[in-house]
Amino acid sequence: MNRRSFLWGMAGLISASGLPFDAFAAPTAPSIDPGFRLSDATAQAGINFRHNSGAYGGKLLPETLGAGCAFLDYDRDGWQDILLVNGSDWPGHKRDYPSTLKLYRNNRNGTFSDVTHSAGLDLEMYGMGAAVGDYDNDGFPDILITCVGQNRLFKNTRKGTFIDVTKSSGLASRQAMSTSALWFDYDRDGLLDLFVCNYVKWSAEHDVFCSLDGKHKSYCTPEAYRGETCWLFHNRGNGTFEDVTATSGIFDSSSKSLGVAMLDYDHDGWPDLLVTNDTQPNKLYRNQRNGTFKDVAVDAGIAFSAEGRARAGMGVDVADFDNSGNPGVAITNFDNEMTGLYRLSDGGDYVDVALPSGIGQASKDKLGFGCIFLDADLDGALDLAVVNGHIDDTVRNVSGVGYAQPPQLFLNRGKGTFVDVASALGGGFSQPKVGRGLAYGDFDRDGDLDLLVTTNNGPAYLYRNDQTAGNQSLRIRLIGTKSNRDAIGATVRVFHGASNAASQSRVVKAGSSYLSQSELPVTFGLGKQDKIGRLVIEWPSGRTEDYKNLSAGRAYECVEAKGITGLPGF
Amino acid sequence: MPRSLVPHSPEPHRSPTPGLFLGLVITLAAVVAYSAYITRQISGLRELQNNLVDRNRKDSLQLLRIQNDLNSLALAMRDMLDNDEPYPLTAWSAQFQRVRTDLDDALHREQQVAPVNRTPEQEEYLDNSVVQFWDAADRTFALAQGNNQAEARTQIQVSLRARQEALSTAVSRLLVQNNESEEQAAQRIAQIYNRVQRQVYLFLTATLLAILFTSLYLIRSNRRLFAQLAALSAQRSELAQKLISTQESTLRHISRELHDEFGQILTAVGAMLTRAGKQAPEGSALRADLREVCEIAQTTLDKVRSLSQALHPVMLEETGLESTLDWYLPVLERQAGIHVFYEKSGQSFPVNGNAAIHVYRVVQEALNNLTRHSGASEAWVRLRFLPQALEVEVQDHGKGFDPQSAGQGIGLVAMRERAELLGGTVEFVKPTPANGQDQDAARSGTLVRLKVPRRNLESNAA
Repeated sequence: MNRRSFLWGMAGLISASGLPFDAFAAPTAPSIDPGFRLSDATAQAGINFRHNSGAYGGKLLPETLGAGCAFLDYDRDGWQDILLVNGSDWPGHKRDYPSTLKLYRNNRNGTFSDVTHSAGLDLEMYGMGAAVGDYDNDGFPDILITCVGQNRLFKNTRKGTFIDVTKSSGLASRQAMSTSALWFDYDRDGLLDLFVCNYVKWSAEHDVFCSLDGKHKSYCTPEAYRGETCWLFHNRGNGTFEDVTATSGIFDSSSKSLGVAMLDYDHDGWPDLLVTNDTQPNKLYRNQRNGTFKDVAVDAGIAFSAEGRARAGMGVDVADFDNSGNPGVAITNFDNEMTGLYRLSDGGDYVDVALPSGIGQASKDKLGFGCIFLDADLDGALDLAVVNGHIDDTVRNVSGVGYAQPPQLFLNRGKGTFVDVASALGGGFSQPKVGRGLAYGDFDRDGDLDLLVTTNNGPAYLYRNDQTAGNQSLRIRLIGTKSNRDAIGATVRVFHGASNAASQSRVVKAGSSYLSQSELPVTFGLGKQDKIGRLVIEWPSGRTEDYKNLSAGRAYECVEAKGITGLPGF
Repeated sequence: MPRSLVPHSPEPHRSPTPGLFLGLVITLAAVVAYSAYITRQISGLRELQNNLVDRNRKDSLQLLRIQNDLNSLALAMRDMLDNDEPYPLTAWSAQFQRVRTDLDDALHREQQVAPVNRTPEQEEYLDNSVVQFWDAADRTFALAQGNNQAEARTQIQVSLRARQEALSTAVSRLLVQNNESEEQAAQRIAQIYNRVQRQVYLFLTATLLAILFTSLYLIRSNRRLFAQLAALSAQRSELAQKLISTQESTLRHISRELHDEFGQILTAVGAMLTRAGKQAPEGSALRADLREVCEIAQTTLDKVRSLSQALHPVMLEETGLESTLDWYLPVLERQAGIHVFYEKSGQSFPVNGNAAIHVYRVVQEALNNLTRHSGASEAWVRLRFLPQALEVEVQDHGKGFDPQSAGQGIGLVAMRERAELLGGTVEFVKPTPANGQDQDAARSGTLVRLKVPRRNLESNAA
């Protein structure tokens, strides 16, 4: 028997046995009832935003990266407002109308008002990402916009306006092509510090010529540019920041970073950082509790793919998706690289479980950007939402992969498996988009998580989540006193079910996803249960609080060391 | 009529066992020898694979990792020299430390899997180069720490870079060396495969030849054995038929003698005694004695005639098979006390006397067996004159017997031989149950069927 007849024999056997050839393909099951629907609330909400990448044909690298978005409660009225970051025209290619970022205030009735101008944010800049955090602990969230060039820090005046404090805060001394950023309190002094990712050393003047066909200019991949270190700014507590990049051990001139997430990888109560790098190894900066970090990504098994290759790390999120109490990780990558889904093994190493989970195969032909863990169907298991889209609109001519690609929503089916139900959700969510930013927030205060999506050089989308299965949720807003006021870094655990055997955990966090930030309150899906047995809060200050018998179907506000208060509804 | 004797049987031949045994020994020896050869080749291959190819591959992977680390260091040094970062040179120390950790691990692993042909000088050179590089790096960072940035940059330019390049060259050389030895190993492996392939073909050819010769030898031996058996069987059959013919002619002779000679004598004695009795006075003792003697003579005559018929029914020659059976069956019924159902069918044809005696004997033997062994009280005899043959059946519903079982009586052998003499066949079958017949009854019993071609019965050949 030669090889050909053997193969034909096998093919015959497979077809005779009725085994489908795509038996190992990812499960896509529109027949599954996801338990919720999405509807496109963008127009109804009054959100009229279009991202401007400034593309004029020059094919400049930043044009491919899009811009992010954020849910924030800038006026502290308990309703999530929306921030959409925008790019701008390139010098010498200005058009008639200016493009600015947009701040939309929540009108508490499902609609939003564009308050960009009145808030003092109608400024032109080549914005990329947003990081929202109350760095001065005044109770009102401040905004950092990462930019190509100079990043901008806007301080909340508590009167519905923002003032640009970039210069006075000491952030004006650093310029680069910044991407994602996050606020976190790495030294646990109660003040939020700032971590900023930088992509590559790039300037419009020295843009490199790259071409797919040898004739026409196309967008370059990051290999064409030198890396750029990320930055860590220490909050001095007086409104200024100190660049501790070099002294903290964060400095790495080879990094080409796009995403960052906070996590407590070693369960020591000190926040660590996971930074995704494009074509370079990812970095897992372990907090050494003395103001310095050590990169342990290689040892932890998250620097490279399972094949030992540095992938094109884009977005990242960290959450306890398997309810094990350990921080699991999702990292979006280039097409043909698959999204990485990592679980922390007992030995303290990350293991990529994307393939057995079903996410690997389903993401193989996707170029992922924003990604967030959220309990979309409120069943108590975190699901994963991912937005996709290629970087080059000529890509379909070359590789057949679409420029616009459908977003995905992987429903957690338990036992480590996920299934993409995006096409069953409605609202046009699964329509192909050139997705970039992605954030969640409960803008209509109905207890479930709505989605905000930005696209490159295209519109932003607000998707309202409507539960159909009648699942209950519980939302917690934390206010730190000794800890930073946003309680970023706090871990909230709930115990429920018979003998409180089931547990879930959430971490209050900024950053994650791609260029974006989700709301700070944490949401627990409880299925059909109407109460939880126990709620444990571990504050960043080290304080632990324990509460019992809380009802589902409402939100609670907990102030550090001052107890918990139930709110009427969410 | 006896058939001519088969040609003289072949001489008894040598048993094929020693030849086959020798073949088996040779084949087993060949298999053992070949297995030993293959095992040796495989262990050679494995050794080559483990010691050279796998080790080389693992080593090359580590060398590539080292090369990658050296490349990272080169890029970091380039950035340090570019002086476009707002950070002091010490900022790179964490980056260097990270690479150093990985490089140390890679070098350690590389040493463990270094190819066996690596010279101690090469090892030493690599180790020294690494030590010197890190020594230079430490000095550079010490200078940077002491705020002597310019001198540190100079050190990077004149010393650190050169050492990094030297290390990189050394690692490249080792990679090339690994590649070359891998190519050599590939050649050696290819040679082994070629050799083994050749040996496989040789072994297969030898095995096929051995199988071919053994098969031919076995076929030849078998043919001889069958020829011997056939000859012996023919001899035995001829002997038996001669015996039967002799027996029949002897019995016919005795029967004729009894019938003709003793019959006439006794008839004459009877007539003379009757005449003498008439001459004796009426009522005298002599007359009474003579009558008694005359009756004895008559009884003797009857017995002689009866014996003559039993030995060889003269009727066969005189009135034919059909009449003889008509006479014989009632006689048997009386003598054996069984009931015989006699059926005749078909258009009868004359049966030659020489043939008729054999048919008669077969029927007689079958009925004898039936009365002696079957335990049955009824028998069926069917005489069928078919267009091309004569068929005679004798059936009972008694105990039955297995004609194939060992220890057949001489009667069965004789029936077969007689059938063969007639050029016909005799069958011993278990009757199949007819509709409505008792299953148990049908399962038992015997049917003896003789079938002889008509032409053999009408001619004198038999």
